[in-house]
Amino acid sequence: MGTATGIIKALNSGVKHLAVKRFTLRYPEEKLKFVGDGYQFDPSTGVGIAGLKGRHMLFHDHCTGCQLCSIACEGVAEAIGMVKVPDEWKQNKKSIMPQIDYGKCVFCGLCVDACPFYALYMTNDYELSSFSKEGLIYTPAQLQVKPFVSQDSEIQISSRGATHG
Amino acid sequence: MSTPTLPPGLAIQKADERIMTLNVGPQHPGSGHMRIVVQIDGDYIVACDPDPGYVHRGEEKMAEYRNYVLNIPHLERPVIHDSCNILYPYVLGVEELLGLEITERAKYVRVIAAELNRCVYTMYWLAIYGIFLGHSTMFMWPAGDRELLIDLLEKMTGARVTHSYFIPGGIRNDLPANFEDVCLRQVNYFEKRIKEYADVFYDNPILISRTEKTGVLSREDAIRLGTTGSVLRASGVDYDVRKKEPYDVYDELDFQTNVMKSGDSYARSRIPWLDMMESCRIIRDALQKMPKSGSVRVKLKPNPKGGIDSVYKRIESGRGALGCYIVSDKKPEPYRVKLSVPSFRNLIALPHLLIGEKLGNMPSIYWSLNYWPVEADR
Repeated sequence: MGTATGIIKALNSGVKHLAVKRFTLRYPEEKLKFVGDGYQFDPSTGVGIAGLKGRHMLFHDHCTGCQLCSIACEGVAEAIGMVKVPDEWKQNKKSIMPQIDYGKCVFCGLCVDACPFYALYMTNDYELSSFSKEGLIYTPAQLQVKPFVSQDSEIQISSRGATHG
Repeated sequence: MSTPTLPPGLAIQKADERIMTLNVGPQHPGSGHMRIVVQIDGDYIVACDPDPGYVHRGEEKMAEYRNYVLNIPHLERPVIHDSCNILYPYVLGVEELLGLEITERAKYVRVIAAELNRCVYTMYWLAIYGIFLGHSTMFMWPAGDRELLIDLLEKMTGARVTHSYFIPGGIRNDLPANFEDVCLRQVNYFEKRIKEYADVFYDNPILISRTEKTGVLSREDAIRLGTTGSVLRASGVDYDVRKKEPYDVYDELDFQTNVMKSGDSYARSRIPWLDMMESCRIIRDALQKMPKSGSVRVKLKPNPKGGIDSVYKRIESGRGALGCYIVSDKKPEPYRVKLSVPSFRNLIALPHLLIGEKLGNMPSIYWSLNYWPVEADR
């Protein structure tokens, strides 16, 4: 192939893309859709359930304060600390529950795998930025709140190329 | 006045009229911090001294203080784009030490995840290669098309990079519902897209004239210097760990290795692109042959212990043969974890290739070696 032909072919390949739809996702307005409600784990079978590893969600009525999540995190990020909670629970004699520092968390999800009581799940919420370091520390009361997420864009493939529809 | 005697490294070199020493780096020349000290005579390189080690993180020492499962998140940090592949030899080794038998479905899912990761890594590598050569289209196209595969991995593992997906005993979670169809559709489109790169990049006469016959590594030198992966295959040696020592289910899958004879930077940049097409073939084949249901994870005891034993496992990563040597001594933590990384072995060829080349060819030769500084420093 001659030099001129090669250059014309390269230019032609670029020109064709004028007719191709935009692929990029306009992030703050559009958000990607994820699978399910987030990463969960079923201790009875020992297998996880696929989903995004985002912010955690803590079920106070299941947490026994056994510290297994905190022990699992010690070898990874030291993000989980056990703190006292004011309200009393029958299954949680010591009234301690995990508090997660998202400045340290690496979102590996091994704490979710460690929990044998279905108390700790991960959700689709990944927008956790804060103006202060203290703002990244989520107390058990904050982790109890189910996040509101509206994510609906998916990759769609047509003959005119792929887009985030 | 007598001159003070200085240690060898600090001795002031005599200024030369012709030779100039030039530091390239250590600030981020594309992928991580490393420095290349080159001595140039006019436009030609006369000596070269790569200086890695700026991003040493002590991964191997850290692994001695954590148990076999908790090692997973930090061991994948050296190459976050190829995180399934860098975990693969470690996980295979731990499974042999602990005597775990993993299920057939988990093996296939692992192969799919590893091949997707190889493509994600290669696309990132290709984007940087494009920007090193001043080809900004080749930066934007791979960076965008990589999103197709990252989306698949996100559905599969729950994270865009650093998946922490492989675990001794299988994989962390089963595939989501309807994954096979989405995967097939996106991988087919991805393959169609990367074939378009031929027109704009690989068959482009400007690229060919810049990279052909530069940094030629002969077949004998490639073997003698101990290079691996795409660098070795570009020099005409047909060596791929997936073919020579098949692990998991690679012996049941239909694929071939790509070999080129010229050994120049053009061949070294083309081989990963051809490998991506083979990866697409492997993924399609694995999706077809995979058992449709079944367990994917063997239950582990808390703090599993191995006997007094050692094991060495190798896999083919996006850069070449990646090995992991694990010694256990009846404790929950490994006694020693040693990663034998392809990046470091490919870097050894750099001083050999650069001598006699023009300085302008240095970026293309350096990056065509498929070298990732963070992985080499561990």
